[in-house]
Amino acid sequence: MPTDNGNATYLDAVGLALEHEMDADPDVFIIGEDVGQFGGAFKVTKGFLEKFGARRVVDTPIAETGFTGLAAGAALVGLRPVVEFQFADFISCAFDPIVNVLARHHFRTGDPMPVTMRAPFGARLRAGPTHSQSVESYFAHVPGLKIVMPGTPEDAAGLLISSIRDNNPVLYLENKYLYRRLRASGPIPLEPIPLGQAKVVREGTDITLVTYSAGVSQGLEVAAELDKEGVSVEVVDLRTLVPLDVETIVASVKKTSRAVVLHEAALRMGYGAEITAVIQSECFWHLDQPVARIAAKNTPTPTSPPLEDAVVPQPAEIAQVLRKVATA
Amino acid sequence: MPTTRKKANAPAPAPPSERDPALLRRIYETMVLTRAVEDRMVAMYKGGDLLGSLYTGHWHEAISVGAAAALRPDDYLAPIHRDLGAHLWRGMEPWQVMASFMGKATSPTGGRDGTLHYGRLDLNIYNLPSHIPANYPVAIGMGFAAKYRGEDRVSLAFCGDGSTSRADWHESLNIASVLKLPCVFVVENNQFAYSTPLQLQSASENFAIKAVAYGMPGVKVDGTDALAVYDATAEAVARARAGDGPSLIEAVTMRMHGHAEHDPADYVPREMLEEWSKKDPVELFERTLLEAGVLDDAAVKSVRGQARQHAIDARKKAMADPMPDPTTVEVGVYAD
Repeated sequence: MPTDNGNATYLDAVGLALEHEMDADPDVFIIGEDVGQFGGAFKVTKGFLEKFGARRVVDTPIAETGFTGLAAGAALVGLRPVVEFQFADFISCAFDPIVNVLARHHFRTGDPMPVTMRAPFGARLRAGPTHSQSVESYFAHVPGLKIVMPGTPEDAAGLLISSIRDNNPVLYLENKYLYRRLRASGPIPLEPIPLGQAKVVREGTDITLVTYSAGVSQGLEVAAELDKEGVSVEVVDLRTLVPLDVETIVASVKKTSRAVVLHEAALRMGYGAEITAVIQSECFWHLDQPVARIAAKNTPTPTSPPLEDAVVPQPAEIAQVLRKVATA
Repeated sequence: MPTTRKKANAPAPAPPSERDPALLRRIYETMVLTRAVEDRMVAMYKGGDLLGSLYTGHWHEAISVGAAAALRPDDYLAPIHRDLGAHLWRGMEPWQVMASFMGKATSPTGGRDGTLHYGRLDLNIYNLPSHIPANYPVAIGMGFAAKYRGEDRVSLAFCGDGSTSRADWHESLNIASVLKLPCVFVVENNQFAYSTPLQLQSASENFAIKAVAYGMPGVKVDGTDALAVYDATAEAVARARAGDGPSLIEAVTMRMHGHAEHDPADYVPREMLEEWSKKDPVELFERTLLEAGVLDDAAVKSVRGQARQHAIDARKKAMADPMPDPTTVEVGVYAD
């Protein structure tokens, strides 16, 4: 089991929150490939089988469509399934039940559909085109889903608790690059963090950086560097893409009058397009510069380090764009 | 090894005269009502009363009612668009079905969904989307929940022959068998998936033998024989309830109408329809019950007359019911 020694990793935080909810609610169970005896491909559920038993820690055949639909059926009659996709890339195999069964069931019938889908996603691990994808935009277009993308260990825990308690299907995307790279500074508060509340994680006056997930720690590092140059960057961590906290974004951009959006997903039709549209419609008369987007190139994510680094946003590029928009 | 035939030493099925007459009569009444409601809705479709197309289950009545009758009311059901009989068995009102095909505010989904998507969870029935057999994974999930809670409820899912080609069908049977879930899978083999005939759907000798690959029993029954379907389902349900895992039933019948009413089904050989027209499940069951003395001519006349009147009254109510209020359309995308 994960333990909290005051410096829990992002990965530990996911496990701690999941354990907390399974302790608190006997209707919560975890289902997926290799989650039981193996403890999950990334070891989020290590020790869960021993603690909770095979009834609540359910290893399945390789059948994403099948076990996602199973979760829907179990949720319909009162359970609170947590589905683990081994990699977010494999969620495409469950596109049908997510979009056609889970997402629209409540609208169609009024029945609740409390399913949390956990999926490790993202690049920078040299895992190549079908093990590095950012899948949020595929699903952000689907009414009825919530999309949660924590960028810190504390948020990973608090947002997972809220996701599991939510009566809607929630896509909870864990950034696997952050799993063992980010640590909490102190004990993880195992308290729910409401979905739909962005957070200003660094205050600034010259420019707003709107980002989420791995972009948060990346953005904070770049902001600290730019501060030395006299560029004051405010960093807004969206935390959840759906529901989207428009108010916090708008308040920040109205304050700084300049905005950059950063994500690791490909640029074209990435979630940054939505944020940019929101900013231009809500803050048009406050903007001093066009909103800029920093995102991956419109290519699959390559495996080889120099190729992958050329595709996903790097600190130098982030600094350059922020500097340019802030000082233009 | 699982078999598609009855075991040699299996007891012969009980003759109708030795069965509960109240149960037989209720099965008959529900089959007659199903036919009456669907015939009425065909007229409504032709008269332009309905939205979209109309999916009917002519010649599926013995399967939908026979299988539903072998379940308890608290067992879960995941029917498809040929299974009006299963809904009516559980207590769905015919006017609600008509209201669904009309997009009325009073339909089970309040007009959010429509046509065949009217399943009511309060009757332990899953309201499926169009992606059949998307109801299969959901059905195993309901069975999973029953087992998880230590309840002895069973979950039964219907689908057609075409559904057996999909990944979710395979995954559901496999998962249910591996996890030993209390499920019953019924394939309504009606010879056509839209225009696709069996030989273009599957190279298997039949669908029941597919059960072998999943490590569960499979049985093929005459889908026009309500008691054969009832008995096969009862056996599968007993097995599931006892904790022995899922079973597969192939019930063979014919789709006597088009895929839906817009479809003249010119691709179906006329001789096939003529041959199957002699096997009307409602008439067959009626004859069985008359011969067994469960019904007499007066009872038949009365049941048929009442069903017809019920369908007429249902249409009246559905027609008079209001349409939904468009200002509410954004309410309820998310649950509280």
